Amino acid sequence: MSMSLRLLRDRIPGASTVLMLVVMLLLIAAVTEALGSTVLSRFAIRMFIDMTLVLGLQMFMGNSNILWFPHVGFMGIGAYASVIFSMSPLQKILSLPELYPFLADVNLPFLPALLAGALVAAAVAAVIGLPLMRLSDFPAVIAGFAMLIVIHAVLTHWEALTNGPQTLFGVERRTYVMNSAIWACVFVAVAYWFKESKSGLQLRASRDDLVSTSSIGVNIVAVRWFALVLSAFAAGIAGGLFAHFITSFSPKAFFLRETFIILAMLVIGGPATVTGAVLGTVIVTIVYQTLRWVENTLNIEQVFAQPIAGLTDITLAVMLIGMLILRPAGIFERREIGWQALRALWPWTGADAAPEPAADPQVVRKAAETKQRR
Amino acid sequence: MNEAIRFIVDVASLGSLYALMALGLVLVYGILRLVNFAYGELIMIAGYTLYLLSGSPLPWLVMAACAVVAALAASVLTERVAFRPVREKSLTAMLITSFAVSTLFQNAALLFISPRARLVPLPDLFSESIVIGGMLFFVRELLAIVVSISMLVLFTALLNRTVLGIALRAAADNFRMTRMLGVPANLVIGVAFAISGFLAGIVALFWLGRTASVMPGIGLEPLIVAFVATVLGGMQSLVGAVVGGYVLALMTVGINTFLPQALVDYRQAFTFSLVILILLFRPEGLVRGK
Amino acid sequence: MLELKDVHAQYGAIVALRGVSIHVAEGDLVGLLGANGAGKTTTLLTIAGVIKPSRGEITFRGVSLAGLPPEMIVRKGIAMVPEGREIFPTLTVQQNLRLGAFIRRNRVEYRHDLEEMGELFPILGERMHQSAGTLSGGEQQQLAIARALMSRPRLLILDEPSLGLAPRLVDQVFRLIARLRREGMTILLVEQNVIQTLRIVDRAYLISMGQVEMSGTPEELKRHVDMESVYLGATVAARGGGQGRGAP
Repeated sequence: MSMSLRLLRDRIPGASTVLMLVVMLLLIAAVTEALGSTVLSRFAIRMFIDMTLVLGLQMFMGNSNILWFPHVGFMGIGAYASVIFSMSPLQKILSLPELYPFLADVNLPFLPALLAGALVAAAVAAVIGLPLMRLSDFPAVIAGFAMLIVIHAVLTHWEALTNGPQTLFGVERRTYVMNSAIWACVFVAVAYWFKESKSGLQLRASRDDLVSTSSIGVNIVAVRWFALVLSAFAAGIAGGLFAHFITSFSPKAFFLRETFIILAMLVIGGPATVTGAVLGTVIVTIVYQTLRWVENTLNIEQVFAQPIAGLTDITLAVMLIGMLILRPAGIFERREIGWQALRALWPWTGADAAPEPAADPQVVRKAAETKQRR
Repeated sequence: MNEAIRFIVDVASLGSLYALMALGLVLVYGILRLVNFAYGELIMIAGYTLYLLSGSPLPWLVMAACAVVAALAASVLTERVAFRPVREKSLTAMLITSFAVSTLFQNAALLFISPRARLVPLPDLFSESIVIGGMLFFVRELLAIVVSISMLVLFTALLNRTVLGIALRAAADNFRMTRMLGVPANLVIGVAFAISGFLAGIVALFWLGRTASVMPGIGLEPLIVAFVATVLGGMQSLVGAVVGGYVLALMTVGINTFLPQALVDYRQAFTFSLVILILLFRPEGLVRGK
Repeated sequence: MLELKDVHAQYGAIVALRGVSIHVAEGDLVGLLGANGAGKTTTLLTIAGVIKPSRGEITFRGVSLAGLPPEMIVRKGIAMVPEGREIFPTLTVQQNLRLGAFIRRNRVEYRHDLEEMGELFPILGERMHQSAGTLSGGEQQQLAIARALMSRPRLLILDEPSLGLAPRLVDQVFRLIARLRREGMTILLVEQNVIQTLRIVDRAYLISMGQVEMSGTPEELKRHVDMESVYLGATVAARGGGQGRGAP
């Protein structure tokens, strides 16, 4: 088979994955728009924002297998930065009275402000994340956790830029169903492209066997760093979309609870695949919003003497633990949806048309991890 | 002079608690390489046990014993139910599980008790103070020092004199070899979680004693403290964890005493930037050796 | 006594066993020879229950060892002296030996065995309360063997006990192994030091690429294989060179 033919063959199933996911997301967006329900469109927007965030997390954590905490911190940076770029000078006097003069007059339209905010998040990640990229295992996790706390502390105390621990209000609503859906679609493509790119393959190889990858000359620090910057950019976009959707928020929105939710989405779907990130977000959103609705209804009807809280997170935690015990690689494990996967489901093609998964890299990874541990 | 003594007592009482917390965390980490994010929730569980018993006619010491047992039981139970099934799978799976367990406990408290703080019963002794050499001391602080140091002595004896203790140390050093000598993995891990829970329970009594209340989010701060102390001490060594606890207390009290308020706000940011720097440049901790 | 039948196993992504069959009879001293990465250590770790075989069968005294975790294998009477010794450096010599006897409950017997180890290894007897990390390489090797013996095993498995030791100490270790065998211990010895090994074993297996290439008495092996050329690393070891540890 010639080189170009092989490339074509390799690309088409990938294109089909991206295409299917994008069509699905746009369909969800279109149906939501057509129904015109405010409640439903709020769910959908929240889902697309979370999806952007989860896809960003997938790019770094899914490919490197490092449990990564600072992600929502970068979301927070993107949220505050985009607001500083987009808010009108008049509103800033009310909302951010202590803002530095050189920022007070900045007033960009939404899209440039969103991009600029995401660039700030990516730049911060690039600088403070770089030294962490050579860590692995526990030190990487704990340093990431420390970094989330540092970011959170700075967001909470840098009153000039964030209004401190108080709510920042007066942000204009700019995020709607369609533009949030489009951003989710963009990052479906970016995440897929990255996963299949040379860097993505190297990063995944490092996940499977760190030693042998660095011994064949892959600069793992550089590859990880690139993934981190991309992932923080996605988090920044998600943060900007979130800020211009919710319109008033405080640093609390970007801490451990949100981290838990996006981790649940990614892990339940399957961190190794883009399909897993997308459908994990969809599934968890449905479960989560349904339970929230139940919780709210119970509270409004005053079924219990006191308002109840925590039911949603308990269910999510149980789902997450159950998934890790029963199917630790998530629903989609290592398979992306695509023509081949669909053809396998198609009843008329017969069993022999089922795609033969290549040598299962998970076995190798498990073995490598077992080796490291005991 | 008096201020110096006051400073030392503050550091010693806070440091003793920090040391116990770090010990509980590093004991499990040494064997499983698991950072138990649910560790802080054990303190929360001990607190709610006290709260739930507060109406009962039991003497306080019995309530306290129940609280410690509850933390111990929760620790052993989470190991059995959540960690053991994912133990062989991957380190990341285990870490995410512990994060999920932490969320689970917190929200269970939210759902079944209340999002608001609840008072915990404390003995009168805790709010009393005594005068020694013309200086006023809180009995609670002195008690924390005495109890923590007895725990450390007890723990050291356990690790040096009993077969199980020796097995624990061996497992923290080389788990596979320890198993090959016939020490059951589940036994060592179970015991490590039990001791970890026990220490969390003891810490809880004094930790909650400071505010006399418990709420769902109360576990975060002790968890963070234990993390930092563990990193300071080098994460591998039990002695390091204890030293790390005291060093962190020295830093905390020092910052509170000597830095202007504006900078105290950023204390967490400073402490954690330090954690990152240590991980980068001295991953074996500030204190070398075992 | 120990029987491996067509054992397949995977260790990490690198070393695999592709059908290893080995037989060790009661009272035998059997050698397992091969170059670095041939699968010797993988074979031992599979016997020890650390690695689960993907195919094949391991039986010990007629009982299958399939699916048993490491802590149960030693209870069946198999003790392991691993490659690199793996003593616990922060524990004292006595504590190391105490753990060796973990599976035994009888205190009197333990005391007795502890004294016996002190006699068998006088250096250890002198240093009972010293931490094991302060011992020299040769002493640590003695400790690792003593620790294994403390479980009163029926079968003793030694993985490269001569590795990294000075020539004088290598002789000492081999004399010790020969002595244990004379006293009736069944031993499976993994070595790269082919010449010394063939001097003391009853039979030996030659492993290469995860398979048994040849087996027989030392005479048969010497007749059929040009040892020097096949195992260059082994000849270096025989001269006492301290070559680094290779892949398992």
